[in-house]
Amino acid sequence: MSQSAIKKESSFGVAHIILFLAIAILVIFVAWPVLLILFNAFFVGGKFNSKDFIAVLTEPDTFSALKNSLVIASMTTIGSTIVGTFFAWLVTRTDLPYKKFMKGLFLVPFMLPSFIGALAWKMLLSPNAGYINRLFMRIFETDQPLFNIYSYLGISLVEVMYLFPFVFIQVCGALERMDPTLEESARISGAGLFTITRKITIPLVLPSIMSGALLIMLYSMAHFGTVAVLGIEQGIYNIPTLIYEKIHQSAGSFESIRTGAVLSTVLVVTAAAIIWAQQKILSKGHYQIIGGKSFRPMELKLRGLRYPLLFFCLAYIGFTILLPTAIIFMIGSVDTYGVPLTWANMSLANYKYILTEYDVTKDAILNSLSLGLAAAAITMFAGVMISYVIVKMKVKGKGILEFLGMLPFSVPGSVIALGVILAWSGKFGINLYNTVWIILVAYVARYMAFSLRANTAALEQVHDSLMEASRSCGATMWQSLKDIVIPLVRPGMISAFFLIFLPALRELTVSIMLYAPTTRTIGVAIYTLNEDGETVMSAALAGIALILIVICQSIINRITKKAGE
Amino acid sequence: MRKVFSAVLVLAILAAGFAGLVSKAEAAEELIVYTSMKESLIKGIVQGFEAQNPGIKVSYQSAGAGKLMAKIAAERQSGKILADVLWTSEVPDFYKMRMEGILEKYKSPKFKETINPFKDYDGSFHAARLGTLGIIVNTDRVKKDPTAWSDLMKPEFKNGFGVADPALSGTSYMSVALLAKKFGWKFWEGVKANGGRIGKGSGQVIDDTASGELLASLAVDYITDNKITKGAHIKMCYPKELLVVPSPIAIFKGTPHLAAAKKFVDYMLGKEAQTLVAAQGTIPVREDVVMPNKNFTLPKPKAALAQSIKIDYNEAVKTKEDTIKKFSEIMKKR
Repeated sequence: MSQSAIKKESSFGVAHIILFLAIAILVIFVAWPVLLILFNAFFVGGKFNSKDFIAVLTEPDTFSALKNSLVIASMTTIGSTIVGTFFAWLVTRTDLPYKKFMKGLFLVPFMLPSFIGALAWKMLLSPNAGYINRLFMRIFETDQPLFNIYSYLGISLVEVMYLFPFVFIQVCGALERMDPTLEESARISGAGLFTITRKITIPLVLPSIMSGALLIMLYSMAHFGTVAVLGIEQGIYNIPTLIYEKIHQSAGSFESIRTGAVLSTVLVVTAAAIIWAQQKILSKGHYQIIGGKSFRPMELKLRGLRYPLLFFCLAYIGFTILLPTAIIFMIGSVDTYGVPLTWANMSLANYKYILTEYDVTKDAILNSLSLGLAAAAITMFAGVMISYVIVKMKVKGKGILEFLGMLPFSVPGSVIALGVILAWSGKFGINLYNTVWIILVAYVARYMAFSLRANTAALEQVHDSLMEASRSCGATMWQSLKDIVIPLVRPGMISAFFLIFLPALRELTVSIMLYAPTTRTIGVAIYTLNEDGETVMSAALAGIALILIVICQSIINRITKKAGE
Repeated sequence: MRKVFSAVLVLAILAAGFAGLVSKAEAAEELIVYTSMKESLIKGIVQGFEAQNPGIKVSYQSAGAGKLMAKIAAERQSGKILADVLWTSEVPDFYKMRMEGILEKYKSPKFKETINPFKDYDGSFHAARLGTLGIIVNTDRVKKDPTAWSDLMKPEFKNGFGVADPALSGTSYMSVALLAKKFGWKFWEGVKANGGRIGKGSGQVIDDTASGELLASLAVDYITDNKITKGAHIKMCYPKELLVVPSPIAIFKGTPHLAAAKKFVDYMLGKEAQTLVAAQGTIPVREDVVMPNKNFTLPKPKAALAQSIKIDYNEAVKTKEDTIKKFSEIMKKR
């Protein structure tokens, strides 16, 4: 063997192994399940059949689920956009008191899983028994409730409460990075505040608003928990809840899988369209103008409104976060649902029961923690590898990977759940059904997008010249990866890890479709307790879950702070 | 040093994650029971059984009968039924599974001591409880107790009566079928005309009645008993045509734990387990068991069967899907 041959082989080795692995991961975890769904949606008995596809879509059940998904998602998106943009503007562009603190406060809704929020609002605003409605009816001596949470509006409002931070974060970022000299020059040229806002500020932050809004649209269309808690009983189904019902009630029959597959196809197509729109909007070049970050933006003087607005913000947080949390803990402490919330009726008995006697709790917490850790770890490493190929490598076959890399972004959770059932329940040799592994496989697929986003962003910051320099000094590919690239992207990897761990900890949409007796996650345990009519127990477990989430979040904050220093 | 530390940290986290998953994956030698009985009923029985049989560990999955059957169907498709024993209240399911030949025939020696509601007993399943359903009312909102099924069509229950979804709950399905058999579908049409609605599971309609969201609902005896004991403001009322739903217990053919499963069935029919059943406020299958009747009075097993609405289960198997469909059509009509 000549020396050049060896050299060639070794470089072929690392680069191509990485590429191959990256493609393999995406194909196995994401592309294959999605392909199976499309196949099952369009092919019956091995033959292409689009007539049935349309027939399933036009069934009254399916059609109304589609319509409901769209209606709820649209209302949620509009609401969240307004709320998120308004608060973002308030904490970045005005002289609101305690701005920094308030900004942190507006991120708290992220910590409260929306299905727990939905449970709380059911207790507060169910038409005849909700505590707020009862109070209202008693005070005004009427038998008409103040508000019926079991409605499209109710569901959408609850989703807005816990999803608006998506828009808030995006818009805050854009407003902070925006070059204020643009606004100043407009002002110097004599434009009024209204004109400046309309002609300069809004066009500049619009892409961020839109991309946050589309993210919410995507999330809400495929969201299970809120609709399951507040809608099903009133006959309001959206796509994920209908898939769940079909799969659970008709015993995994071909018909139900097929209906699920057809609905999933619609979700995937819609999601792809949304992603496409988002890319379109983002590519309209807003980053050139939003470039600076050291400028101090012009602040609007709120004058007399400063404290009323601060009070409004605090009231909003109190109403949407504190009140639901408090009711969860209170209901969790009464003996049975429906008794008055007095001190005499409250005790810690349910919490004690849930923690020490109820076997499912330990399983669920252990499952959720280990699933979260494992999914985050796998996805973090896989994500950095795939991002590396996409961002840095120049090899043949990269195009496939770029396409595959887009897939995780456009595949909603309930679709992934159905896909892994099709792919991993024994039809192709491996049967993971009813084990915790099938949930892990689904989590990896579901959260790959988070990891890709964080790692791509981190890798884009690492200039090619660093790698080139190290290679030209004689380092091998592996050495330069290990000593140059990895240390530089480590913050990105860490943030990817936690971006996945926390949502995975409280996941419901995927695990509700995949759980078996001993593989309940925390979300599933709370949901099934509620569905079985153990309202107070589910509230107690939800309370414990909230404490766990807060503990994990504060540990993470500490770690990331240290890593940042 | 920092590098080493962070490497160790990463490894530790990974190890913790996988250890958690792996410890799940390797199941110990154990008997798996799928049941629609709630925690309050099944837990004590399982503990009693484990105390008598130290070698056997019982894991149970408690969920609505509809969900369990869906789970079992999915497991059958994938080739292996996870459960060894099934105990629900959806009687037609057992007839169907017997026809399909997936139930193990086992004639328990305890059988002759029990009251048997099934004419064509062959050992495929044994009744292990005689569940009853009645009308529960919220005592804060309803002042006059209903005494007949037709009371549900009276104005005092306007827009306030709920039935658990028969697709989810076995007892609910049986009640729907029994009442339709006795009074015809016009009974349910009348309930609907008075604003009756379908709820979720059999437990949730009770909680919704206790909270006052519903005025009344069709409720299972022991769940109601449990909630009344805990202080819920509800009351059980039984019209004279009694809804009695036997809860059969069966062993799946091919279970690797056949001996343990047989022991469990024997235990279920024995005096100890039946005393636990009775203590929860439902009817046992043995006459020799004391029924405490804490919160409402139930008849003894034989008397209950005599008073109950009769149904031909073989017939019910054939019409099950139509019954659910017809019921949903009536109740969901706008």
